[in-house]
Amino acid sequence: MPRPNVTESDIRDWCIAYLRKTVDNPSIAIGPDASFAELGLDSATSAYFIVELEEWLGAELTPELVFEYPTISALAHFIAEGQGGAADAAGG
Amino acid sequence: MRPAADPDLSAIAALPSLTALLRHRAAVQPDDRAYVALSDRGHEDRTITFAELDRRAAALARQIAGRAASGERALLLFPMGIDCLVALFACLYAGIIGVPMMVPRRQSARDASASILADCNPRLALTTAELLSGARGDLIGRFQHAGLEWIAADEAGEEVEAVELPSARRDDIAFLQYTSGSTSAPKGVMVSHGNLLANLEMIRIACGNTRASTYVSWVPLYHDMGLILNALQALYVGALCVLLPPLAFLQRPSLWLRAIHEYRAEVAGGPNFAFDLCVDRHRPEQLAGLDLSCWKLAFVGAEPVRAATIERFAETFRPYGFDPQAMWPGYGMAEATLLITGGDRRDGPIVRTVSRAGLLRHEAVPPREDPDAQPVVGCGRALAGEDIAIVDPETTARLGVDRVGEIWASGPNTAPGYWQNPEATEATFRAQIAGEADRQWLRTGDLGFLDAGGELFITGRIKDVIIIRGANHYPQDIEDTVQGSHPAMRRHGGAAFTIADDAKGELLVVVQEVERTERHRIEPAQLIGQIREAIVLEHDIVPHEIALLRPGALPKTTSGKIQRALACQLWLTGALDRL
Repeated sequence: MPRPNVTESDIRDWCIAYLRKTVDNPSIAIGPDASFAELGLDSATSAYFIVELEEWLGAELTPELVFEYPTISALAHFIAEGQGGAADAAGG
Repeated sequence: MRPAADPDLSAIAALPSLTALLRHRAAVQPDDRAYVALSDRGHEDRTITFAELDRRAAALARQIAGRAASGERALLLFPMGIDCLVALFACLYAGIIGVPMMVPRRQSARDASASILADCNPRLALTTAELLSGARGDLIGRFQHAGLEWIAADEAGEEVEAVELPSARRDDIAFLQYTSGSTSAPKGVMVSHGNLLANLEMIRIACGNTRASTYVSWVPLYHDMGLILNALQALYVGALCVLLPPLAFLQRPSLWLRAIHEYRAEVAGGPNFAFDLCVDRHRPEQLAGLDLSCWKLAFVGAEPVRAATIERFAETFRPYGFDPQAMWPGYGMAEATLLITGGDRRDGPIVRTVSRAGLLRHEAVPPREDPDAQPVVGCGRALAGEDIAIVDPETTARLGVDRVGEIWASGPNTAPGYWQNPEATEATFRAQIAGEADRQWLRTGDLGFLDAGGELFITGRIKDVIIIRGANHYPQDIEDTVQGSHPAMRRHGGAAFTIADDAKGELLVVVQEVERTERHRIEPAQLIGQIREAIVLEHDIVPHEIALLRPGALPKTTSGKIQRALACQLWLTGALDRL
């Protein structure tokens, strides 16, 4: 089920917390405006990042989103605007 | 005792070409499913029988036969799926040489496409209507080449014009595999029909495959392992091959395991990282009811096979009925069509512990104490009709059992050479062992040893290639990307190399000199972020470490070439002069 009342800043916070945990490199500062590539997400890790985000949100997302919205800020904004596919929610 | 000979097996062993193989399958088992394509979420999407594959490939062949002459090249740019196999067989039927290629990732600015185009000078580019319409970026713009004609293979109607198709011979080139060579100097391995049939037969014998050996594969079809060991081997023995999109596997490795369960697959495999990914992403709640007892052969190769990976995979999935003896490490490369060594089905992997210090002296001996112990995984033995030799790469003298040297191979699966590159062909495919004239060997560029039983163990590499997640990368390409990422980066002042990590496998390290005049103007952390971004976008690999160096810090030869191996040694001892 879609997570109710998720705001743009909730999504941003979740992404930052998730990437802090997964990007296994203390020299990389996880910020909302760094590109996913700069944070060290290749196609395999970004594909999985989208799956985890999808599960947390309870809505389907496409893996291409990280290329179209290449920073945490841009991605969070897009999803919060409701264009991220949150409307056609599915169980996963 | 072996079971009585299968008449189908003697029939396929006598076939002259891959085209004859598909016609044979369409004749003897027309309505059996050849391929099933799954969706991104693992649902059955499309199916094709052997007869339909034959019919569609022949129809497309008649259309393209008029647009390219026999022996001309056609790029094959497809997502994972049935259309790719239809197009490949259409090329084979039309006598056109197919060139399987990866659909470029949208975010990469520069890739090997342009130089591969220049190298093979294709007349046609076959793809899908969706890709042609720009669904994944401007494909046509990226593949600018004089006289190149684009064809949406999935839209070609089934007209039956009376175009006579040539019949292929064993020595004809079936396709070109561009897995070797850097971006600036790509090398296309010419794979003949005879090479393919020979290697497919060798694989069949080693794997013990039959018509019941259902495959489930997520390895892309532009990758030789995905194409030959999965899709073509299944067709060779008349088995079903289920195709899962690679990205779907990366997102949810459990889809692969689920499909193995659902289709009761006997054979499924991939590069080493795939097995690690299954363990890393393992969530028991997603795998309730999973029964992997059908999985008889889990091949692993295309990159160094690690003992720890095999062990943790077997441990994690044994509760689901996975048989640890099903693990099947193999070794191969496009220059040998695909497979060079492999075990017998149910042999189980052989792991030997040797001395690290011994390996440095080029010999496999028992370790002295714990820190000296290095587990190495056996990759099987020479296949039927093939020979393997371990050779001193300097003197080209043959080395004995347990001595480490370059791996050389010779057999009917050895390709005739690189496309229009006699110099590289001579150096790689025509090697001779000192004192043993009259036999041509393939130099693999890999290092290893053979034990008394003929089992091959890979211990290193002398060629300049970086293998990460089963994909080959060339250090000079990565160095070019780094130097192009910012004007402060010194031209010809960088080195890319890998260091081995027991837990994580091969890790990329990049060291780069900064221009003297820019040293005080740059912000190192920001620059390193920019370099990382450039490497990820261009090459889809994440550097483990990036270091900026003082100008002149890197060791160079007298002719000014970067000494990567020495740079790596200096890096490991902390002797490189960092900024």
